[in-house]
Amino acid sequence: MKLSITSKRNLWWAISGTAIVASIAMMVFSFVSLNAPIRPGIDFIGGTRIQIARDCTVAGNCDEAIDTAQVREVLDSQGLGNSSIQLLGDNQQILSVRTENLDGDRRGQLLSSLGTAIGKFDDKTVQIDSVGPTIGEELFVSGILALLVAFFGIIVYLSIRFQFDYALFAIAALFHDVVITAGVFSLLGLVIGLEADSLFLVSLLTIIGFSVNDTVVIYDRIRENITANPEGEINEIVDNAVNQTLGRSINTTLTTLLPLIGIFLFGGQTLKFFALALIVGFILGAYSSIFIASTLLAWWRNRKSNNSVAVSAPPASE
Amino acid sequence: MQKQRAYIILILALVAAAIAILTTIPPQLGLDLRGGAQLTIQVNPTKERPDVKPTSEDVEAVQRVLENRINEFGVSETTVQTIGEDKILIQLPGESQPEEAERRLKGTAKLEFKEQKQGSEGDFIAESQVNRQLKAQRIFYSQQESNPENQAKLAEINESLVKSNKAVAELFESVGLTGTNLTDARPQPDATGNRWEVAINFDDAGGKKFAELTKNLAGTGRSIGIFLDDDLISSPVVGPEFADTGIAGGRAVITGNFDLEGAKDLGIQIKGGSLPFPVAVVENRTVGATLGQDSIRRSIIAASVGLVLVLIFMVAYYRLPGLIADGALIVYALLTMACYALVGVTLTLPGIAGFILSIGMAVDANVLIFERTREELRGGKTLYRSVESGFFRAFSSILDSNVTTAIACVALLWLGSGLVKGFAVTLLIGVVVSMFTAVTCSRTLMLLVVLSLPKVRQKPELFCPNLNVGERSPISSNQ
Repeated sequence: MKLSITSKRNLWWAISGTAIVASIAMMVFSFVSLNAPIRPGIDFIGGTRIQIARDCTVAGNCDEAIDTAQVREVLDSQGLGNSSIQLLGDNQQILSVRTENLDGDRRGQLLSSLGTAIGKFDDKTVQIDSVGPTIGEELFVSGILALLVAFFGIIVYLSIRFQFDYALFAIAALFHDVVITAGVFSLLGLVIGLEADSLFLVSLLTIIGFSVNDTVVIYDRIRENITANPEGEINEIVDNAVNQTLGRSINTTLTTLLPLIGIFLFGGQTLKFFALALIVGFILGAYSSIFIASTLLAWWRNRKSNNSVAVSAPPASE
Repeated sequence: MQKQRAYIILILALVAAAIAILTTIPPQLGLDLRGGAQLTIQVNPTKERPDVKPTSEDVEAVQRVLENRINEFGVSETTVQTIGEDKILIQLPGESQPEEAERRLKGTAKLEFKEQKQGSEGDFIAESQVNRQLKAQRIFYSQQESNPENQAKLAEINESLVKSNKAVAELFESVGLTGTNLTDARPQPDATGNRWEVAINFDDAGGKKFAELTKNLAGTGRSIGIFLDDDLISSPVVGPEFADTGIAGGRAVITGNFDLEGAKDLGIQIKGGSLPFPVAVVENRTVGATLGQDSIRRSIIAASVGLVLVLIFMVAYYRLPGLIADGALIVYALLTMACYALVGVTLTLPGIAGFILSIGMAVDANVLIFERTREELRGGKTLYRSVESGFFRAFSSILDSNVTTAIACVALLWLGSGLVKGFAVTLLIGVVVSMFTAVTCSRTLMLLVVLSLPKVRQKPELFCPNLNVGERSPISSNQ
């Protein structure tokens, strides 16, 4: 069985094009409603998140779910009316509150009033993340900078090892993966209120590393096939290369997804959505390498060779 | 064969070394896994001069003050380090209520020069000796491993120290000379050139108070008490020659048995108290101990489930080579963890994710090689030649794909912040080690099996199921 990738390239391009347009539309919509393309977490805009769990060793403490109305009352009384409240865990015994950035004193005050309102909580299960607004900005800027540096480094390396057009299309495939993953998370931010934290930026960078990996393996094969058969038809060569590496592409993606699915199912709260971002991104990475990066290169080389044939082979020479 | 033997010996030696390292150096766990509070503190310019940024010396002085305050908390294995230009990172393992710590860290240090009370000479010698001993003990126990026994000991020492500090402070009385009067304190070589002393300068008002203070104390044997946050840091005496006028002019030197380090320390301590740079806690990440343990447990479950699935998949799909790859993967995991221990990587939650992902990279190298070997087999080559050329031809793909991942890691390491760095370090080490194990370990094991077991050589289908004779024609089916 042999897949012919290049002959149906318009179909692949249409699918990806639609997904990219939808993702960008999603981010624009999110920008209009949330003022950011993806719902930003406190890592980027600053703020305090406190997560506490009731101490269930105290008799009767955990009989009922935490009452959000009570929590809201406490927040209102401390001038933190526009904070968000979330209940987590079995029987909703874990409370997660996100407020503006609080210093130690105000936080201590909030914690003690919450303790009186909802019952004693266990010190050892507390989680506090408090980020000042300037740090948030620094995290964001350094993350975006890292993203750009990685893009640039990869272009340079691939231009040296392959050729500039390979590098360009590899980056196009990367862009495709990053934009659609961002689109998916933009949607999740709007629908389930998922916030992007610094781990989301890390996941985008990892997707870049892995996706370019997939593309490079296919390009490596295309280059090898071109060297072995310089006169060959480029569509044919690309189809062969994709088919020859298909087993590897599928198996590697599968073996990488297995641990990630493990993290998604069993990992803690923090890593769950990090793993989800990677799962989405890696599947996209495999798809874009097989269907997009390869067909783009074939199309480009075809165009170029058609042009050069027209110039170098006038009818008179036949 | 000779070469393979050498490789096997090398691999076995490395594995033995890795196991030795892993059993002697315990893994360093980040606060998100063991529980504790991590505070990032920013040193801001003073209100009086908002456009003057604190210099690295100023930040060092602030760090010194914070270190002293943290020692007073009695938490073991604390770390205080400067990050970037004007930030100080403080880690307090086991601390799940950092509010008090934050409050105490943020207060500016109060430096005060006090006069020793008359008739307290005898008490002072006894009390200051007790005080010094307690401080030495506290430093000793702070550096010990954090266990309940040491914690209890530390708490006990702290309690006695509070009493001792109070007792010492009672022997001195305030003369209203504080850090705000001090303009500079720095080490300089003394007249002999062998020792160091600390030169201190006061402003006008301070100079007058200091002259008065030294006049009262000169030649009496009673000392000036230099207190930082009510803790006696130095108690110099004044020579009898100043009995008439005191030390006038607002300048003085503190001499003693100082080497450069000692003088520098005291200078920084005095200056740290006198230069109240406002500090702000700009980031606080606190994880309760139980939550951290829960994260570890979950990560270990996730990692092992993932790893076991990968191992099963490799054998199911690639048969004998899959089994060999599984061996190589286990070697890989051991070597990588040993590298983490050697380099001193602090394992955080994202770091564990980086490790799990690097396993994916390690598998990929093997998958590339086996797919290539199968192709060569289908192309009609003998098993030995297929294995050799499979490795050879897969290498450029492995190299390119790993280098591109490494580029992304380096970008993260260079520009990323704490959490991000933890992830990048583990992934980068993983990528490098996986290159090594793929080309040495998998290859050697494969060749060893192929070369030393003749039965295997006659059964290429162990490497590639459904390999039929038709496919083994001398002409490659792929070209």
